[in-house]
Amino acid sequence: MPLPDTMFCAQQIHIPPELPDILKQFTKAAIRTQPADLLQWSAGYFLALSRGDPLPIKDRVEMPMATQKTDTGLTQGLLKVLHKQCSHKPEVSLVDLEHRWRTLCLPMERLRALLQLDPCRGSIEWLKFLALACSTLGGSLNSAMKHFCEILTTDPEGGPARIPFDTFCYIYRYLSRLDSDVSAQETESYLDTLRDNVKNGMIGLSDFFVPQRSL
Amino acid sequence: MQGYNPKPGEVPPKFRKSTQPSKLLDPPRQLESAQRTGAPEGGEQTDGAQNRKCLTPELPGGPAPRRSVGCWATGAGAACWFWAPWSQRAVAPTYSSDSLHSSRSLCVPLLLASLNPCPWHYLTSLRLPRFLSAHLQQSQAPAQARQSDPGPCLPKHSSRVMATYTYTSRPRALPCQRRRYRDSLLQPEEEPVRYGNIMYDRRVIRGNTYALQTGLLPGQPDPVEVQRQQQVKKRTLAKKRAQEQLRSWTPEPVEGRKHVDVQTELYLEEISDRVIEVDMECQTDAFLDRPPTPLFIPAKTSKDMATEILEGELFDFDLEVKPMLEVLVGKTIEQSLLEVMEEEELANLQASQYAYEEMRNVELAEVQRLEEQKRRHQEEKERRKRQQWEIVHKQTETAHKIAACAFAQRYLADLLPSVFSSLRDSGYFYDPIKRDIEIGFLPWLMNEVEKTIECSMIGRTVLDMLIREVVEKRLNSYERKDRPAPFKWEDGLDIPAAMRDPTANYEFQEPSTSQAQRPLSDTDYLQTTSGDKGPPTQQRKLIEDEELLGQGEDSEMRRSFEMEEPGGDSDL
Repeated sequence: MPLPDTMFCAQQIHIPPELPDILKQFTKAAIRTQPADLLQWSAGYFLALSRGDPLPIKDRVEMPMATQKTDTGLTQGLLKVLHKQCSHKPEVSLVDLEHRWRTLCLPMERLRALLQLDPCRGSIEWLKFLALACSTLGGSLNSAMKHFCEILTTDPEGGPARIPFDTFCYIYRYLSRLDSDVSAQETESYLDTLRDNVKNGMIGLSDFFVPQRSL
Repeated sequence: MQGYNPKPGEVPPKFRKSTQPSKLLDPPRQLESAQRTGAPEGGEQTDGAQNRKCLTPELPGGPAPRRSVGCWATGAGAACWFWAPWSQRAVAPTYSSDSLHSSRSLCVPLLLASLNPCPWHYLTSLRLPRFLSAHLQQSQAPAQARQSDPGPCLPKHSSRVMATYTYTSRPRALPCQRRRYRDSLLQPEEEPVRYGNIMYDRRVIRGNTYALQTGLLPGQPDPVEVQRQQQVKKRTLAKKRAQEQLRSWTPEPVEGRKHVDVQTELYLEEISDRVIEVDMECQTDAFLDRPPTPLFIPAKTSKDMATEILEGELFDFDLEVKPMLEVLVGKTIEQSLLEVMEEEELANLQASQYAYEEMRNVELAEVQRLEEQKRRHQEEKERRKRQQWEIVHKQTETAHKIAACAFAQRYLADLLPSVFSSLRDSGYFYDPIKRDIEIGFLPWLMNEVEKTIECSMIGRTVLDMLIREVVEKRLNSYERKDRPAPFKWEDGLDIPAAMRDPTANYEFQEPSTSQAQRPLSDTDYLQTTSGDKGPPTQQRKLIEDEELLGQGEDSEMRRSFEMEEPGGDSDL
């Protein structure tokens, strides 16, 4: 005799055994990422999960979320998520980028403003976009490069945050070109001075960025 | 044994007999004695063994139905609890486990019950063993304490009743003849129960008690007599044993062999009285496992009714699923929060560790750099120092040298002329030609001069000798010739006057010769010798020669002179 379709008591409710785990992972991700719009983010999350794409999760909780209120809400953690999602291809299509941007509950105006800095159509080189986004994070070119290094590095968090010097040069030139105040000559001389510190083709944070440490 | 058929409510006559006299005086003590007499204890029985022997085939089952009419055990119990005021009388007949706690008097009816079971007793005895034994053990300590008090009075009392005879037995339950279930392993196997049949108890009087005599029965022997007889028996037995031990036995068999009984009669005969033995086996049924207790299902008490329920009336999924979801979500969130917190903490630790490591690396590099710098500075400093030292050293050296130079110059300035003059004075600066003449030429010259002088001196000496010889010869010839004319001799004396007295002459001239000899060493020796000192030396030589020649050697001297003469002449 097959079980009746109708349910008569609570014991008949069947919970699939995978559900708690999925739910837990999702909850953890949500706690970590702290999205502004949970629904939108969840949609993005489960879409990525079903597609097998990298999930829009921050690796670490970012406590100072104040920027989200004041301005764009773009943070280094969010950029890292984007980088995780998009870095597998050198070029990223604007549609895709927009989608991901929206998933992270970031305002579209900000994206447009970013893209206006270096107009392009169809797709944009990911590193360039990342560099542009980094430049909005920190005020100066140096702090933008710091963010860039911290996002791009494979070193563990808190480590020296080293990236290949070629990439560094490329991005630095790109950013300084956009900045009309800095002449190309200055850029080159700066890069030349940095080149002396470079060890095995990698440049670390400590090589060019001196943080104002409060003791 | 069958002679006495107990009836309910009747007390065994012996009991009545033994307890009645002291009943009013001391019931508990009386009870003790009753127990002691009624319940034989395994350890102290004297003739209990033979009682048991008779009893054991009797007990299982057989007599029980016959006696179900009456149970004298209950009767005894009734009697017992009647005169046991400290026990719980009201409960005694139904034998609840509570009553067993307090009453030792109940042991007697229990024992009796086990001996002679009525259906009711049978039931109690079945569930008796466990708690009875437990309670008996519990009550042993107080019982002993109690016994110790009436101890001295007990044998007195019993001896008054039945002399030396005592009999005690622990009351026990009757075992079930056939076990229904397998024994549980946990329950220990009870030791085989031994019973004394009270019908064989000598204290139990068979027949009526009206003719019972107090004191010694005629049939019973005097206890003293019995004791003596026993002693005699013991003695004979001991003697027999001693004799047996003294008897010589066959020696022990050699190792590996053993003794075998052999007929030693004259004629061998077959032993035919051997019993034929046959082994038989009998298989009994195995014990059954105890069946599980069936589940308790209370009997139905209410009526069954029926009603129709439409779909969705009883069950609302959204409603029903709510608590489940609440639990699920609540748990999940709680767990996730915890986990996220934990992971965050770990990640924070890790990150700070890496950050510290990075800082440390940077600082280490800095330290290394500084150390290197310091080392270089040190080296540089050392080098400079050394250089400076060298310079200073050199400077001082030169200063010293210059000072010494100046001093020497100043010192030597006035020294030099004086030294030169003194040296010149002491003849260090000489004319080589002059020196050569002085050293080379003059000695040679002197040598030559000396040689020449010597030659001339030898010549002169030789000449002197010649002259002398001639003179002597002349003298001799004159003496020989002029013997007749001695005046000649006088004449001749004038001339050689000096010759005759040479010694005086010599002595006179001695100081002049000594004076003359000193200048001989000088350079002007030649002049002095060659000058005016000729004659004295000649004279001296002559004198010497004279002395040398002596008196007796004239001839020899002559010869030698003659030989020398030509040489000397030639030289001159």
